[in-house]
Amino acid sequence: MAFAPALAACGSEGSTTALSTTAPTGGRFDDVTLKLLVNQPHVTSFRDVLAPKWKDATGGILEVTAAPYDQLTSKQILDVQSGTGEFDVFDYFYFGLGDLVEAGALTDLTGWIDANGDKIGTSGYLKSIYDPYTLLDGKRYGLPYDGDVHILFYNAELFDRYKVAPPTTWDEYDDVAAKITTDAKGSAYGAIVSGQQVPMILGCSYINRLTGYGGNLLDANGKPELTSDASVAALNHLVKVSPAALPTPLQIGFDQANTAFLSGQGAMLDTWTDMALRAEDPTASKIAGKWGALSLPVGGANTTPRTALDAGFGLGISTATKNQDAASAFIAWATAAPQNLVVSSTPGAGIDPARGEVLDSDGYAKVVTKAIGPIREGLNGNPLVWPKTAGAPQLLQGLVDQIALAVNGTQTVQQSLENSQNQWDKALA
Amino acid sequence: MSQRVPRWLAAPAIAGVALLLVYPTIYLVALALTKSSLAKPLNHFTGLDNFSGAFASPAFTPSLWKSTIFAVVVAVVTTLLGLAIAVLLRHRGGGFGVVGALFLLPLVTAPVLVGVAWKLLLAPVGGGFANLFKAIGLEGFNPLGSGVGAFVVLLVIHVWQWTPFATLIAFAALGVVRPELLESARIDGATPWRTFTTVTWPAIAPSIWVVVVLELVIGYKVFDVLVVITAGGPGFSTSLSPFVIYQTGLRGSFDMGTAAAQTLVFGVVVGAVATVVTALRARAVKADA
Repeated sequence: MAFAPALAACGSEGSTTALSTTAPTGGRFDDVTLKLLVNQPHVTSFRDVLAPKWKDATGGILEVTAAPYDQLTSKQILDVQSGTGEFDVFDYFYFGLGDLVEAGALTDLTGWIDANGDKIGTSGYLKSIYDPYTLLDGKRYGLPYDGDVHILFYNAELFDRYKVAPPTTWDEYDDVAAKITTDAKGSAYGAIVSGQQVPMILGCSYINRLTGYGGNLLDANGKPELTSDASVAALNHLVKVSPAALPTPLQIGFDQANTAFLSGQGAMLDTWTDMALRAEDPTASKIAGKWGALSLPVGGANTTPRTALDAGFGLGISTATKNQDAASAFIAWATAAPQNLVVSSTPGAGIDPARGEVLDSDGYAKVVTKAIGPIREGLNGNPLVWPKTAGAPQLLQGLVDQIALAVNGTQTVQQSLENSQNQWDKALA
Repeated sequence: MSQRVPRWLAAPAIAGVALLLVYPTIYLVALALTKSSLAKPLNHFTGLDNFSGAFASPAFTPSLWKSTIFAVVVAVVTTLLGLAIAVLLRHRGGGFGVVGALFLLPLVTAPVLVGVAWKLLLAPVGGGFANLFKAIGLEGFNPLGSGVGAFVVLLVIHVWQWTPFATLIAFAALGVVRPELLESARIDGATPWRTFTTVTWPAIAPSIWVVVVLELVIGYKVFDVLVVITAGGPGFSTSLSPFVIYQTGLRGSFDMGTAAAQTLVFGVVVGAVATVVTALRARAVKADA
C-alpha cells in the first residue's frame, strides 16, 4: 500500500495530437515511404490496388503490414505506446476507436477535416457510416474506408433443387434451413451460422438477428437493452437454428463459412457484402451465377429490414508518424471516390463502399450484380451501430461469451442475456 | 588452505536474477494492484480490485480447476505411456533407433502446426475423420461440438504431442539400470513385473518423478494448440487459465491489471500443485532408496 502513490506517478496518459488545418490533402511525395498497419483481409486493397496507384499519383511508396483482425487494435496501440512508432497510417476497427483514442494512438483530425471538407469530399461519405466510423466525443479521428454491413446470401441452385423460396423472415429462414438440411441428407446444409466466439463473427450473427427482430444493443440514452424481447428472440433463433446449420456453428469462422458457401455446401449465409464479388468469381466459387442476395430477414413484430454496421473500418493517422503530410494526403486520397470504387470492385480486396457516389454508381452495381439492391438498402438505411467507447471490445467479447454459452446449451438464453445486461450495466454506468 | 572467493564474482548472477526474476515479479505485482491497460500501465492504485475482478470473470475460476484437471491427467497419462513405450524400446534392444525417432516427431513439430493439422482432421465437414466417423455409423459426429468432447480432444492431442518427451527421458533412465541386476533377477526366477518393480523402478524412479513434474508444468502451460483448435470454446469448456489470462490482457480492453492478478493467482495454484507433487516425489524416492 505504501508504494501506491509512487505507482500512480508512473502512470502514462495517452495524449492526442491534432493535425494542422494546413496539412495537405494531396501533392507529390516522391520516394516518401508510408507504413500502413492494416486488417489482414484488406491487404490486397492496399498492396495490390492502392500502392501502385499511389506511386503513380504522388511518387510515394506504401509499405503494408497486415495484422489478424483480432489483434489489429492491440498492435496499433502497442506500436504507439511502446515508442516504436513504426507506422504512419492505421486501418482501424470503428468499435476499437475508443480504445485507440484513449491510448493516444490516433491523431485528432477534426480541424483538418473541417478546413478541407470540400477537398476531401466529406459530403460524399455515406451518412450511415461517416459519424459512426470517425466521430468520438465530438472529435474526428479518421476517414471512412470500408462500409461493412451484412446481407443474406443464398444458393439459388440449392433453393431450386429443394423447391424453397428465399426467406424474408427469420421463421421462413428456419423452415428453409430445416428442409434443405433434412432433404440433402448431409450433402448440403440449409444454413451456415458463423459462430466462432469473437465479436467479429458470433457477434455479427447475433446482432443480425437482433436488428431483424427490431432490437438494439443500446437504447437512445445509451443504456444496454440486452434482455429486450427482440434480444431474447434473436438469441433463441441462434440456438434453435443450430441443428439445421453446417456443423458446428461455434466452430465456424470466416474461412469455414465462406468455403462452405462458395463450394455449394451451404444454402444461406449472412455475411459481408463483398461476398458478392467472391461468389461471382469463377476461380474462387462453384456457385458463380447461381446465387442470390436479400436484405437480412425480419422477425417478430418488426417488418422493416435493417442491417448492422458489422465491423467497418476507417483510416487514421498514428500520433507517432514522422510523415504526417504524406499520411494526411494518403487518407484523403485513399477514401476518395475513384479509389473507393476500384477497391470496392476488386474481388478479394474485402472492401465495401464508404461513399454514396460509389454505392450509387453503375460501376459498382455491375460488379456486385444481384446484391446491389440489399447493399443499397442496408447502407442507405439506418444500420445498427456497435458501441465504440473505450472498453467496447471487452463488452462485446463478454456478450459473445454469454451467447456462446447459450448456443452450446450450457446455460439458458435468458440467463446469458441477463449476465450480459449486468456486465454492460456496470461498465456503462 | 582455503581461498576467499571475491564477492563481486556473484554480481553477474545477482544482476541476472534481479533482471529476469525480481523486476518482472515486482512489475507484475504492481500491475495487479493498479488500474492498468495496455495503453496505460500503472495508471492508479486500486488495491485488491483486480483480484475481485479476476474472480468475477465467469471464465477464470472454472479455468483454474480445468487447468489443474488437465495438467494432472496429462502428467499421469503421458508419463505412464512414455514409460511403457521406453520399456518396449529397451526390450527390443539397441538404441533409440528410427522407431524412437519417429516417436519424437510430435514433440518436434511446432504446436501451431499440430493444432492446424488436428483441426483439419477434426473438421466436421470434409475433415480427415469425418469419413471415418461416417463409416462406423457416426455420421455428423463432431467431438469438438460439445464441451466435454472438446476437452477430451485437447487432452488426447496434448498426450499425443508430449508423450515422446516422457519416452525420451524414461528411455535414458532405463539405460542406467545395471544389466547384471536384471540378469540376476531373471536367474532367480523373478517375473518381469517383479523385476520391474524391485530392480528397475528404484533405479529410474527419481527420473520418472522429474518427468511427472515437468509434464505437469507443461500441462498447465498449454496454449497454442488450444487457441488453434477450440479458442477456449465451445462456451468456456476449454478455457484454461493461460488462455483466459491472454484474453483478459490482450483482447477486449487490454485489462493488464486484472490479467496480472489472474497470473499471480494462477502462479499460486501451479506452485501449490507442483509443491504437492514434488513432496510426493521426495517421499516416493526416499521409500525406494
